[in-house]
Amino acid sequence: MHTRSQTHTSRQLPMLFFIAWRNIWRNPIRSVLTISALASGLIMVVFYSAMMEGMLRQMVYQATAISTGHIQIHRQAYIDDQDMYATFPWPWLDAIERDVPGINVAPRLYASGLASTTESSTGVMLKAVDPKREPTVTKMLTQVRSGTLNLGLASDSAEGLPRFYVVVGAQLAKNMHLIPGSELILVTQAADGSVGNGLFVVSAILKPLSPNFDRMGVLMSILAYQQLMVLDGGFHELAIHVEDAEHMQAAEALLVHNIDKRNQAQPLDDLGGKAVLRNWRTLSPMISDMLEMSKTINFIVGFIVICLASMGMLNTMLMAVHERSHEFGILIAIGMKRRWLLLMVMLESLLLALVSALVGVIIGISGISAFGERGIDLSGTMPDGYDWGGLVFEPYMQLYIDPINILSACVLMVVITLLAAVIPAWRTVRLDPAEVMR
Amino acid sequence: MALLTLEDITKTYKQGELLVHALQGIHLNVEEGEFVALVGPSGSGKTTLLNIIGGLDTPSAGTAQLQGTDIAKLKEVERSDFRLFELGFVFQAYNLVPVLSALENVELVMVLQGLSAAESRQRAEHYLQLVGLEKEQQRRPSALSGGQQQRVAVARALAAGPRLVLADEPTANLDSENAGALLDLMHQLSHEEKTTFIFSTHDERVMARAERIITLQDGKIISDVRTNKHD
Repeated sequence: MHTRSQTHTSRQLPMLFFIAWRNIWRNPIRSVLTISALASGLIMVVFYSAMMEGMLRQMVYQATAISTGHIQIHRQAYIDDQDMYATFPWPWLDAIERDVPGINVAPRLYASGLASTTESSTGVMLKAVDPKREPTVTKMLTQVRSGTLNLGLASDSAEGLPRFYVVVGAQLAKNMHLIPGSELILVTQAADGSVGNGLFVVSAILKPLSPNFDRMGVLMSILAYQQLMVLDGGFHELAIHVEDAEHMQAAEALLVHNIDKRNQAQPLDDLGGKAVLRNWRTLSPMISDMLEMSKTINFIVGFIVICLASMGMLNTMLMAVHERSHEFGILIAIGMKRRWLLLMVMLESLLLALVSALVGVIIGISGISAFGERGIDLSGTMPDGYDWGGLVFEPYMQLYIDPINILSACVLMVVITLLAAVIPAWRTVRLDPAEVMR
Repeated sequence: MALLTLEDITKTYKQGELLVHALQGIHLNVEEGEFVALVGPSGSGKTTLLNIIGGLDTPSAGTAQLQGTDIAKLKEVERSDFRLFELGFVFQAYNLVPVLSALENVELVMVLQGLSAAESRQRAEHYLQLVGLEKEQQRRPSALSGGQQQRVAVARALAAGPRLVLADEPTANLDSENAGALLDLMHQLSHEEKTTFIFSTHDERVMARAERIITLQDGKIISDVRTNKHD
């Protein structure tokens, strides 16, 4: 006789695992079908989450890398009323970049005006950038659809007037029949109250950066803007690129501190209001909200798909338990505790789920990797990309594999399949051995 | 003190609207080391009686005690331990776990008892040798004949060191040659291992090998005969 104190589960667990593993393969076709169903569900979830994650990353990229930057600083009056005089003094530019490590800065100026050609005229939004600094913060100047980007001085007009090059949005170019080389007259109210006007030459047409810029945008150099607007005392917007985006919060804190210090040393005028720092999440609240929402959507979609797939698992386990009721009766008779039997059935489900997860992850990741870094190419049907939710996307759908998303999907699948296995496992526990062996 | 004492056991259950009296007032004492056959026609109550002794069923009235332990009063978990440590079972057929080899099937009960893997393996090999299946120990049940499967079941029942082995129609699916061989083996091991066997059968050639034959009819013991067949 052996001692009864040894019947704790730890000694029996390896054997239960062993029997569970063998049981999975006693009906290989059924198990393979179950694994296929679960793995397919997981592949769908992995693919969907990769698509969502890719899209969100594209959105963030679009919001930060193409035109907004990670952080922007404006004065309050500019934010409230687009007050033309609410500028930062030029010395701030170099000082901020020098004092805050790990950032690049680019100044911007804005105005509205009227653009005219010999055929038509329309309201436009003028945007001035520094062609040397801007590429260190955004990729705006690389988004050329046609022509060659040039914001410098063009040759003089027939009348001998100096002309600057400008770049225009695609839809504006289409509406005004502009092509690279076209002349454009810009008329605006200058900062000194005079009517600012000038003759410009279109050097390039940009891809859609944003729906607004696409329809109304005219991009010029700061020098050209200063001549047109008679405004050389400062800049409206400071766009900032943080080299290590993971440490954006630290950069923000440093910037706030630096601005405060600078404001004390060289106070800004009262009319323009205080300096306001906003990160891309505040500047693009829709994207920020979508990032948050996507986690919930991912979970709901994953939950539904895996729940459906685990119905196959439930069916398999119910069948298996039904077929083996005599065998379970024998096991109960020879002294197997009902909780061990329950554990054995749950282990079978766990092993099925783990094998399915492995298969699903391998196929899912291989499938996604097959699309390459750019993801799904849409350039055949949408060469200019697509506009969604106020953002313009490149003509491809990036697929991004986030290990945490995959791990979450696997955990979700294992939990759901284990929950589905509770019903057959419970039936096993309730078996009457005398009845099933009769 | 008798190893097994049954006092006024009755078992009544409902079958549709009918009340079936499967056992009616069974009194029985079985001493240690006895080799007992329960005989009787189908429906006489043999299996019900074995199930009550084995703790797989509970009596409607009366007590069944194994060395003073009232089996019906044990809680579910205690009853599992009781079966695991005190009893060995051999059923009519499909005794074995199909996904385990003969050796693993014999090891199973000892692993459930909490014995180390090495000790379980050693004992399992020893008992498979005793039943003459040392060469078949890696085979799964589907690769064994009916007689071999029953011998594995006997090895499993004995390897765990039980006080009492209950065998419900162990030869029902075997031809007479294999049935006789199995009963001879059980009888021999009963003496060698000093283990009590109670088996049910309705095969007269099998019951002739028993030392004590208890005949049941309509849930009652109608005869209890000792045959003086001790080796």
